[in-house]
Amino acid sequence: MAAELRLMIPTKETVEPDDRQLVETIRGGDADAFEVLVRRKTSKVYSLCYRIIGNSEDAKDISQLVFIKLWENLEKYDPLYAFDTWLYRMVTNVAIDFMRNKQSRDNAVNSNLRLVKTSIDADQGTIVQRKEVESVFNTVSQALSPKQKTIFVMNQMEDLSSSEIAKVLGCRESTVRNHLFNARKLMQQQLRKRFPEYSRLWKEEQQ
Amino acid sequence: MISCQTYRASLTAGTRDAALLEHLRTCDACLDFSVEVDPDNFFRSIGGSDLVPPGGVDAFVGDVMRAVQVRGKETSMAAHHPLSWRQRLAIAATVAAGVTGATIFWQHERQPSAPVAAPIARAAVVPAPAKVLATKPIVETYSRNATIVEVPSEGKVNVVMIFDEKLPADL
Repeated sequence: MAAELRLMIPTKETVEPDDRQLVETIRGGDADAFEVLVRRKTSKVYSLCYRIIGNSEDAKDISQLVFIKLWENLEKYDPLYAFDTWLYRMVTNVAIDFMRNKQSRDNAVNSNLRLVKTSIDADQGTIVQRKEVESVFNTVSQALSPKQKTIFVMNQMEDLSSSEIAKVLGCRESTVRNHLFNARKLMQQQLRKRFPEYSRLWKEEQQ
Repeated sequence: MISCQTYRASLTAGTRDAALLEHLRTCDACLDFSVEVDPDNFFRSIGGSDLVPPGGVDAFVGDVMRAVQVRGKETSMAAHHPLSWRQRLAIAATVAAGVTGATIFWQHERQPSAPVAAPIARAAVVPAPAKVLATKPIVETYSRNATIVEVPSEGKVNVVMIFDEKLPADL
């Protein structure tokens, strides 16, 4: 009797449902389960959006759009595949679309603006400041195409391997490596041009 | 988190080690060293940690759930009107075209067929009964060059004309 009672008492060790189980519950019509899923994935989705887009308000809007699309397309999810891969694909599609539209708007407005920092001596040693790296990244990554930037972010900041990125984007691994190579090259060029104080970092590769 | 000493001793270019990456992304004192070892660490240093949207996770989740509910209501309202506006427009256009066509056909049927004579001459002539004029000729083609035109009338005599290019002119 005591054992039966003990079994009925919920413990803190209750195992939370994994993503696939949550999706099944949502498909069964449980909207609360969707809220659990959104809460679980918010930081992941927002972080990726923010790093691709580089603007917190836009990243927030895009993240919300991703979750609405997720709700609308949940029936299409195949549980044979990892849920995060499917979610990342949705995030990258929405973010790339947004970036393409934004890029075309920005190009029309700022075609003549080319800010180049030249006041600092390129040979002068500079200590890397973390808070500065983010703004440097946002500036130099403007030279990348939306797809290149997405791949660069997923590889360098989200620590996804080339094969994982290929699965997310539905392309070949060689394509991902090619985009990464070109992205690095463009980023280095932009660093030398706009932030010569950091160009010393890639001196060996230039030679 | 591992110590700076351990980190500096173990860091290699292109590392995927989670502990090393965590140190790279949190320790400001080792950042310059990290970039010296591998320039890619310059941008890798700003990755990793999960960010929180402005306003916090709770507000964000609330916004998403409200948006989803609104979409749900829109979808259920759309379900009461199973036809889209395009479909409704297409049906309206089809009905309008049908009514117009039927009206034109009906008017055409009711109009007496115009006589060949000029309007002035027609004015002089007493108009024939509509029944006779309404009769349509029956046209039959029986070979490539020949056509029979039969004009029935209410009387016993039917007018039959044969047009055949091969027939002699004095037939």
